[in-house]
Amino acid sequence: MSLRSSVTIVASPRPRVGKTLLARMLVDFHLQETGTAQGFDLNAGDGTLAQFLPEHAAAAGIADVNGQMALFDRLIADDGVAKVVDLGHESFASFFDVAGQIGLVEEASKHGIAIAIMFMLTPDASSVEAFDRLGKRFANAMLVPVHNEILGPAQHRGKYGSGALTVRLPLLAPGLRKYIARPPFSFADRSLAAHKDVPADIQFELKHWQRRVYIEFREMVLRVLLADLRLSMRTGS
Amino acid sequence: MARPAVILVGADKGGVGKTTVARTLLDYFSAHQMPTRAFDTESPRGTLKRFHPDVTEVVDVTSIPDQMKIFDTLSSSDAWVTVIDVRAGLLSSTLQALSDIGFLESAKKGQITFAVFHILGPSIASLDEIEQTARFVGDANYFLVKNFINNTTFFDWDPDTYNSYFKRIKNAIEITIPKLNEMACEQVEVAGTPFVTFVANKFSNGEPANNSFVLRGYVRHWLGNVWGEYDRSKLIDMIMPKIETGNVRHAG
Repeated sequence: MSLRSSVTIVASPRPRVGKTLLARMLVDFHLQETGTAQGFDLNAGDGTLAQFLPEHAAAAGIADVNGQMALFDRLIADDGVAKVVDLGHESFASFFDVAGQIGLVEEASKHGIAIAIMFMLTPDASSVEAFDRLGKRFANAMLVPVHNEILGPAQHRGKYGSGALTVRLPLLAPGLRKYIARPPFSFADRSLAAHKDVPADIQFELKHWQRRVYIEFREMVLRVLLADLRLSMRTGS
Repeated sequence: MARPAVILVGADKGGVGKTTVARTLLDYFSAHQMPTRAFDTESPRGTLKRFHPDVTEVVDVTSIPDQMKIFDTLSSSDAWVTVIDVRAGLLSSTLQALSDIGFLESAKKGQITFAVFHILGPSIASLDEIEQTARFVGDANYFLVKNFINNTTFFDWDPDTYNSYFKRIKNAIEITIPKLNEMACEQVEVAGTPFVTFVANKFSNGEPANNSFVLRGYVRHWLGNVWGEYDRSKLIDMIMPKIETGNVRHAG
């Protein structure tokens, strides 16, 4: 397994919890780290991953088998491209249902691809249950809890157990949000920021925030690699 | 070695998925490493043979030389299990022939293990078939198979009517074959391989194939459910009561 051959699924059964922002950051992170990344956008409406990163993300669908083949067959392709799935809340249940049926994690493992599910923590019971179910059903995937600081102090604390380390999505100052909220926008593309007339001091602050996010991602990647190594040692593969 | 086992897969109605069920049985026995041979009675061209050419022979089950080829070789064959995919409309006449040659009598005496997989269609005619078939089957292992693979709906069966037929058959075992996604089903047809070969992403000759992971996943999931039904009905125990069956490959 390498950073290139990974699939990260950003998920929550709830809307408006910061999934797409996290997915955008992940695609940009992989672009910066490895030079290549592909986003898969399972969202409806505006402000989607494909709209923010049109060159690196495409709309996907799983309502029919053709859409499922286009998505899942690509996810396990041995092409050395890191993949990020922005899983809209409408598709949450059906995505994991199909993934479970077809054995996504097991097949990915055969191809040396690590699967990480980044789960946005919220205090509602349905999310807690969904997190618990995912952990049981996809025991060989890395389930990564994510605390989005914009959702307020960690109200979810104590509800998700104490097993996995949490990735933090740091709070972005309100004055900065408007600069990144209109698509297209890439944190990795400096010319795009310049084109949007983002003032230099704002660019500096965004960069600072971006660095904090990337530190969290790097720690997560290390944990994914470590988990993969442990699994390989256990299975002798 | 245990006594030879013969499994008849049939229905008097066509298009109910007999060959599909026969294919799942061949895969199942192969996974349990049980030497198996098959006879395809769709003479002169058999569908089963297209998927399992190595173990399948096309025969005309109404001809005496072919009947001899099947039944006179039960003890001498290396195969422990003989699966016969009976062409539509020939189930009753095949059972009659088996009765005439004393095969059913041998099964009753325990010299041969005999089972019938009767694939049911959605119509009431299928229920009538049960009664006709049961006359011959007697103490044989009688499996009533509801096959949903080709989207059959059994809504036109009144439950009371169905149960009244079903309960007349002593020891009948009901098996449900779930629906398989149409595209996955179609791709296996196109590939012309056993289900397990498709799941393993190979051609019949063992070379790597390029089948969709999604479709392979659906087939593996479906086949696992079908085999689960066979496990539940203790098919292996019926055929090989004393054999150790711990070394089983799974559907993927």
